[in-house]
Amino acid sequence: MLEEIIAALNDITGADAGEITPETELFEEGLLDSFGLVELLVQLEQLGKTLDVAELTREEISTPAKIAALLA
Amino acid sequence: MNPFGGLDYFLILLIVLLPVVVCGLKGVRLRVCGMLVCAVMLLAIFRTPHALLLLAAFWAWQTALTFGYLHLRRRAKKPWVFHLAVLLSLLPLLLVKLSLWFEPLRALSMLGLSYLSFRAVQPLIDIYDGRITELNVLDLSYFVLFFPSVSSGPLDRYRRFEADLHKERTGAEYRVLLQSGLWRLMTGAFYNFVAGNLIWKFWLSALPEHGFWATVSYMYGYTFFMFFNFAGYSRMAVGTAYLLGIEQPDNFDLPFLSLDMKDFWSRWHISLSTYLRDYVYTRFCMAALRGKWFKGRRTSSYLGYALTMLLMGAWHGLTPGYLIYGAYHGALMCLNDVLDTQCKGFKSLKKNPKAAWALRLVTFHLFSFGLLLFSGRLI
Repeated sequence: MLEEIIAALNDITGADAGEITPETELFEEGLLDSFGLVELLVQLEQLGKTLDVAELTREEISTPAKIAALLA
Repeated sequence: MNPFGGLDYFLILLIVLLPVVVCGLKGVRLRVCGMLVCAVMLLAIFRTPHALLLLAAFWAWQTALTFGYLHLRRRAKKPWVFHLAVLLSLLPLLLVKLSLWFEPLRALSMLGLSYLSFRAVQPLIDIYDGRITELNVLDLSYFVLFFPSVSSGPLDRYRRFEADLHKERTGAEYRVLLQSGLWRLMTGAFYNFVAGNLIWKFWLSALPEHGFWATVSYMYGYTFFMFFNFAGYSRMAVGTAYLLGIEQPDNFDLPFLSLDMKDFWSRWHISLSTYLRDYVYTRFCMAALRGKWFKGRRTSSYLGYALTMLLMGAWHGLTPGYLIYGAYHGALMCLNDVLDTQCKGFKSLKKNPKAAWALRLVTFHLFSFGLLLFSGRLI
């Protein structure tokens, strides 16, 4: 799941391969904003996964590793 | 009686909270005594038969609607039924907002209706999404009518509130909560009664009504007044909630240190901005992306910001000042979005310590000008 999340994030943010690691702070680094998060949710839905962001704080989904753990 | 408005309020609050604090320190669960305190405080706040009748009618309407919708949702998940339920829940608020043009509707106006309505809608969204499948009428009523945040928020979420309500705490755990609550109550009172009132009395009230420099001075004074007044109320409300065993999230987080407007709205009136972000902006953008409504990649984001901020303005009232305030913030959020995505230098500016202070100053002024629009002084 982690690889798929990072691939989706690379696509959304236009980051270079390797720039986003499992521990990258997505919001702090300015890579992801509210809309980027929506794009990620839609891409995850296409993979059959849902993330209930209204129930989660930004801190709980701040890195790809944390998102992957929630989806596992 | 206005919540946190004067000595009489604090005296009643002190009397009714003392037994709660004793129970809390003994490790007793505070759900029932919190509800009793809430009932007494609502009677004290709303006081007149007319206001109490309106509150009772509002409660009956929202309770019937929520349980009715829960019943329908168990059978099937139909978007139109959900939209109708939300509309009906917001109907009292809409009617009161329309009293601007239809005077008789003003009779429905009651203290805190804007906050109470948004709190009442929130469980409906959770029911639709499937997060809530069971409801307790007492817990729901306590949540919607929770007295500390009746007039000025913060806007809590039902499931978070309910979890706190049923939490078992030892006396020692409650003592920590009590300390944090008292600290918030005292600092909130200082913000509101000392800082806010001083600014009002010696700055804003002393200014002439017209003139360019008087308006510039008013802009700064009003911004600081709004912060101390509103953040003060919020802190007192959150502090009182802590004493009742409800750990409501803080509503302000050093907003004048924000680097840009997006940052600002994650620090000012946080409970309203996250509410609108989660339930309006995110849902609108998700629907737009799923349905491929627009060609441009970020078009739905721009429209989402415009919609969210206009709604935020309208929620305050339908007068031109509030609507322009909403449109202004919608435009600023779109501009922020363009800078974030199209201008690579903007990101590095935010990371440069010296430039960051300049950005903070600009953001502060953008917001202050917005509050000047909000104040109605220009219109």
